[in-house]
Amino acid sequence: MKKTINCMGMACPLPVVNAKKAFEEFTETGTLIVQVDNETAVNNVSKLAARYGFAASSRQTGDKAYEIEIEVTPEKAQQQEQAAPGCGGGPLVVVLSSNVMGTGDDKLGKALMKSYIFALTNVDPVPDTILCYNGGAFLTTEGSDSLEDLQNLEAAGTKIITCGTCLNFYGLTDKVKVGTVGNMYDIADILSHAGRIVRP
Amino acid sequence: MRRKTLHLVITFNTTTEAMAMEDLCKSRHAPGRMIPVPQSISAGCGLCWCAQPDDRETLQALMQEAGLEPENITECMV
Repeated sequence: MKKTINCMGMACPLPVVNAKKAFEEFTETGTLIVQVDNETAVNNVSKLAARYGFAASSRQTGDKAYEIEIEVTPEKAQQQEQAAPGCGGGPLVVVLSSNVMGTGDDKLGKALMKSYIFALTNVDPVPDTILCYNGGAFLTTEGSDSLEDLQNLEAAGTKIITCGTCLNFYGLTDKVKVGTVGNMYDIADILSHAGRIVRP
Repeated sequence: MRRKTLHLVITFNTTTEAMAMEDLCKSRHAPGRMIPVPQSISAGCGLCWCAQPDDRETLQALMQEAGLEPENITECMV
């Protein structure tokens, strides 16, 4: 089976939504080609394919024209669905939406957050992903007391993603010291596919 | 999971004192960091100062100078 979907001119996240719908139409292994007009869409559709365990490659076919070729394997898609949210089998995501833990005294809250991140390094298994947004961006950037702990977590396999919008807002864009920078699509995608979300 | 190693652990009677220790050590560039009190230690508050065993004398002198009294100074796996 071979199928092509035209997502030219579509704003994010529509190419991802359409690609996902197209995956479901495959009853046997086949090739899906997604046509898009921007690199962000290429990245997001490629990430979607990777999440399903599908092999994907992309190429530029013209000025503002790209194709992502995805080998769709329905059995892998079923496995992905079985690990979907709600059954508790999906990834463990820790959300750090602030550099303070709890409400009350901020100085105490900062001490608690540092303690929490340290304690996380003692938990087995480590979280699959740590998302840092809003004030949580201060935890992954220069001057954070938690850098060593977060670096240890990253070395142990935790993906650490800090919100790019937040880094920009706080003037921290060039000061990220651990993990990678993500956008709201990454954050929405990770939260939507989490098995468990922990927000201390 | 992180591998545990032997550390110096200084506990305090109150959380405020543990936080004061952090302020003191940071302002004097003294070694160590604040961590939750290891579960193997009985202590009156949940935060403590953790450093290398060799830092004991330096930290004791600093606390004495600042009038900060620890609850206990011990060594354990952290």
